[in-house]
Amino acid sequence: MTEQLPRILEALIFISVEPLTAAKMAEVLPEVPPEEIEQALRDLVAHYEASDRAIRIIQTAGGYVFSTKPEFDPPVRKLLQIERKKKLSGQALETLSAVAYHQPVTQAEIAAIRGVDSSYSLHTLLENKIIKIVGRKEAPGRPLLYRTTEKFLTYFGLNAIEDLPSAEELKKLMQEESA
Amino acid sequence: MANENDPIPSPGEPAAAAPAIEAPVRAEEGYQIRLDVFEGPLDLLLFLIKKKKIDIQDIPIAVITREYLEYLNHKERINLDREAEFLLMAALLIYIKSQILLPREQPIEPDIDPRKELVDRLVDYQQIKAAVGVLREREEEQSQIWRRAALTAPLPEEDLDLIEVSLYDLAESFFTMMQRRQDDNLKVIQGKELSMGDKMNEIVAILKECDFLDFLEYLGSHDSLEEALLAFFCLLELIKARLVVAIQEQLFHTIKVWLRKEAPLAKVNE
Repeated sequence: MTEQLPRILEALIFISVEPLTAAKMAEVLPEVPPEEIEQALRDLVAHYEASDRAIRIIQTAGGYVFSTKPEFDPPVRKLLQIERKKKLSGQALETLSAVAYHQPVTQAEIAAIRGVDSSYSLHTLLENKIIKIVGRKEAPGRPLLYRTTEKFLTYFGLNAIEDLPSAEELKKLMQEESA
Repeated sequence: MANENDPIPSPGEPAAAAPAIEAPVRAEEGYQIRLDVFEGPLDLLLFLIKKKKIDIQDIPIAVITREYLEYLNHKERINLDREAEFLLMAALLIYIKSQILLPREQPIEPDIDPRKELVDRLVDYQQIKAAVGVLREREEEQSQIWRRAALTAPLPEEDLDLIEVSLYDLAESFFTMMQRRQDDNLKVIQGKELSMGDKMNEIVAILKECDFLDFLEYLGSHDSLEEALLAFFCLLELIKARLVVAIQEQLFHTIKVWLRKEAPLAKVNE
């Protein structure tokens, strides 16, 4: 079983279009201790990284999923007939950072952080389901509160929101930049 | 505040003059500057602070105000729609400067430094800018890798892998319906007594009969705005009570409503 385990997990990840969580795998394999699954996953990921195949297993939004390696971007795009992936605008990225680092946050709070009105960017991000409305703030006018979504994580290849650099790390980044 | 993305020139402004506003303005030092390359006044301030190698915690307000105003002066005109925020910041800088110039009996204490609020905002904004850099890098990396989902055919009708929709989707759906119907020549008729209980029972009855309901179609089938609104609220109520489930199979597709199989039906009649 232990010997087969990485291959079993490989099969499970292969048939999953959405990232497959370790918890889900443990559900499928109740007889295997979770630590063993974690170890097998690490081996499997390392195995793909080391191989000279075009695909790898990435960890994103809390699960595992197959993806192509970056150097195969051009032929894949040609097959899919995609000129280039759409990117978020500077405004949208700024608004999104404000949401990611201050969530849950209101539109007025974001505007105060950025110094400019952000309603248009917020709308774009909502439409793309990168952020969502999570409720209302108990404040005058009961303004809507925004949070990032799971799609935010997959879009930026993050495993969890904690993967974003902390305020301290950002400070270090800024110092390096100005140095 | 002005809409950051508003491409329409303000009324009364000749359209031909608009490009001149965007055109590069040559500053005295010999480099070119455009206000619209900055995301906002804080961005411009950070740029000036960096350029002058100023310590952000100890900003010489007179110097920075002069620099800032010089940038605004280099523009022949200010597009109020897009650049009102820049003027607001100019006013704030001048205000802070005036606070510092006012004679005081005691020296300014650090925690009531009139610059403090602005410095805090700048530090926060600087952090956001750094985060933008990180996100942009990650976005670039991610744009080069592909997952299998990209090629998957549309899901078959009975597939269970459906996305549950958010309140935002439902509200958007409702507004789409309202827009579609706004041209209908609707007449106001005698007010009808509407009850939420009756409506909810009606919805549940329809669901029992037809299996599922097209959200948009159902809302649209009502004669009056009041009834459509009532139906909308009833649906929200039913979703909240977990009696029905609203699902959107794919982005931009219509939202469908199902009865939850395990739903405690008796509750509706209460």
